[in-house]
Amino acid sequence: MAAELTSTKLNPESHIILDQPLLRLPHELARRNFKTVQRAVEREKEYVLPALKDTANASLSNTQTPDQTLAALDAMISRMQGLKRKMEGLQEEEKKIHNQSRKRIQHLEALHKIPNLADVKYDQWARVRLDRLLVDHMLRSGFSESAKQLAQERGVEELVDLDVFTQCQRIVKSLRRGETKEALQWCGENKAALKKSQHNLEFELRLQQFIEMVRTQDKTKKIEAIAHAKRYLILNHQAQNPEIRRAAGLLVFKQDTKVEPYKSLFSLDRWKELSDLFVQTHHELLSLPSQPLLHIALSAGLSALKTPLCHSAYTSSSSNSQSTSTSVCPICSTELNELARTMPYAHHSKSYVESDPIVLPNGRVYGQQRLIEISTKLGSVESGKVKDPTTGEVFDESDMKKVYIM
Amino acid sequence: MAKLQTPVKSSFDSINDSLKETHSGLNKYTKSLDKLFKDRPLPSTDHDALSSQENLINRAIAMHLLREGQFAVAATFLSEIAEHKMDTPTQQTNESASASASDPANLLDLDEVPSTEIRKQFASMYYILQQLQEHKNLLPAIEWSREHRNALEARGSNLEFELCRLQYVWLYHGGSSGQDGPTGWQEALAYARREFHVFVPRYLREVQQLIGAMAYSPNLEASPYASLFNTASAWDDVAHFFTREFCSLLGLSADSPLYIAATAGAIALPTLLKLQTIMRAKRTEWTSENELPVEISLPPSYLFHSIFVCPVSKEQATDANPPMMMPCGHVIAEESLKRLGKSNRFKCPYCPSESHPKDARKVFL
Repeated sequence: MAAELTSTKLNPESHIILDQPLLRLPHELARRNFKTVQRAVEREKEYVLPALKDTANASLSNTQTPDQTLAALDAMISRMQGLKRKMEGLQEEEKKIHNQSRKRIQHLEALHKIPNLADVKYDQWARVRLDRLLVDHMLRSGFSESAKQLAQERGVEELVDLDVFTQCQRIVKSLRRGETKEALQWCGENKAALKKSQHNLEFELRLQQFIEMVRTQDKTKKIEAIAHAKRYLILNHQAQNPEIRRAAGLLVFKQDTKVEPYKSLFSLDRWKELSDLFVQTHHELLSLPSQPLLHIALSAGLSALKTPLCHSAYTSSSSNSQSTSTSVCPICSTELNELARTMPYAHHSKSYVESDPIVLPNGRVYGQQRLIEISTKLGSVESGKVKDPTTGEVFDESDMKKVYIM
Repeated sequence: MAKLQTPVKSSFDSINDSLKETHSGLNKYTKSLDKLFKDRPLPSTDHDALSSQENLINRAIAMHLLREGQFAVAATFLSEIAEHKMDTPTQQTNESASASASDPANLLDLDEVPSTEIRKQFASMYYILQQLQEHKNLLPAIEWSREHRNALEARGSNLEFELCRLQYVWLYHGGSSGQDGPTGWQEALAYARREFHVFVPRYLREVQQLIGAMAYSPNLEASPYASLFNTASAWDDVAHFFTREFCSLLGLSADSPLYIAATAGAIALPTLLKLQTIMRAKRTEWTSENELPVEISLPPSYLFHSIFVCPVSKEQATDANPPMMMPCGHVIAEESLKRLGKSNRFKCPYCPSESHPKDARKVFL
């Protein structure tokens, strides 16, 4: 009967669904790093080659003094040295990323060597995964210190993205404080990638700057705001036309206006919206899922484990804390019980009960063998009697009645 | 000067070449990643029922950290939650926010878990386990089991006896000196005389065996009692046993629920994803609201409850539709029973016996 209900088959290919970001993120970072390298090389090339040519021609045709030539050469050399230093830094970075990717691939590969889900190795692997998920969740919720500590204690630093999230959280915090500088800097660093994004983070940030200037109601500030709008809002962003018009309208309103949409433009909640938008854009850029992986895993797991008995008003005969031979169900455990309340329960098409079930006069069903074993272990029960481990009632062994469960 | 131009140019070219190489490598990696995850998109974010229950999740994580013995991390985590709450006092009044911030543990108290108490419990559990595993010191464990003797006995647990037995064996093997010899033998016997009398009513046979083995003392390995004194795995077994009993007395499962749930989730995900795709393709809805529409096979160790599926209606029994046993001993769900019987006598669907619906009795699985 249990053959279909339970299965220990492990399909590593589909098992790593949750681990996609694990590889995606370093890959995205590597790509970004590569682009930076490419751009730097290209820029220097475009400068040095023509410059060299000019200098050479100039010195050949004697239109330049030797000092000038030397100065030009020195400038070129220092730029090349600058490039070298930059490349060294980037190479270091790339090495780190590659190392990370390698560790992660190894970690996922280990899964392919595990024969089935009942294997001890799977248990260890799953524990590492749980640590990863926890760190991920902590990082996303902004608990960076705990995340760092947990990653260190469990030795999974290579498998989690501490730096990326720490940076992300720093910017989020600065936005919550009402500062746009760090977020704008981030936008500048990722300009190329942001063009493809459907969210217009940069526009919203510039708009917020504009709003802050208008908020002061100071005349010079307002003029500054108009200049700001001309510079950042109008030129680059044709698509946001209605929003620009609305921003212009804002100029004649005061902060305490009750007129929509100006009221909500002035609202301080916009900072929170901005930080949310930033997180969204950030995750999208690095192909990170928008919700913590722990949530995905937990909601699936809670449903898969939940039975109608978990929130039943009656104590279940199987698996309660009062019996020794079964362990407590995780859903019934205090930690997850409330969390699972709204989840659907697992679907079963077959009954699953202890072998050789009997029913006691109080209606409780137990495996006969187990019940007798428990009762003999209890010193307080005379021989020939059995004790209901759930209710504590004592019955004659002859009161046990066979029950048939299909 | 003119000569310099060529080497500079060529070195730039070679840089570009190696860049190209890297680029193609990177591209290949991109493609293989895409291929690997092509038909496996991440679960969609349509309904994230859990994000609204941040508190509960954080509580579960804190508990998980505590029960895994990561006290330092747990403390940091709790204080960071407290800070976080301070930063965003959304629904809370200022008063309660400051109160909860002053003591991070209070945050969890809101959720009816006496967390300082639990932390203390887990701290003592890890102390006992550490003594047990690293120093082979059973005394703290034995002391604990004595304190909770009544509760353990009510559960039919023989933890205390197991611990004392191991202590006896350990003493026999020479205790902390680790050498077999007459002193160990004497100490073991002295220990037995001192402690075992409590167990005689319940574990007479086992005690007899343990004492009887002493007669073979010089050559125990060849005696029929050898297996009793083979302690290779006994320490791990006892440690595991102790953890389970300890957690059970606290009303917690032996393994971390978070671990089990997350693992089960990972196992269940492929099936659920497939389901999602199919449902989207066919534009169907779940017919039963509170139940997953597919069966998910988990390893046997992930089944914690008995499950009763009515053989007639194929529905799982619930509080509203409990399993009912007919006089012949066959069990069907209450709704099926009503439908079959309609207050008349009816034949059991599985055997020839006839009965009346009111003769059926509710059973508890």
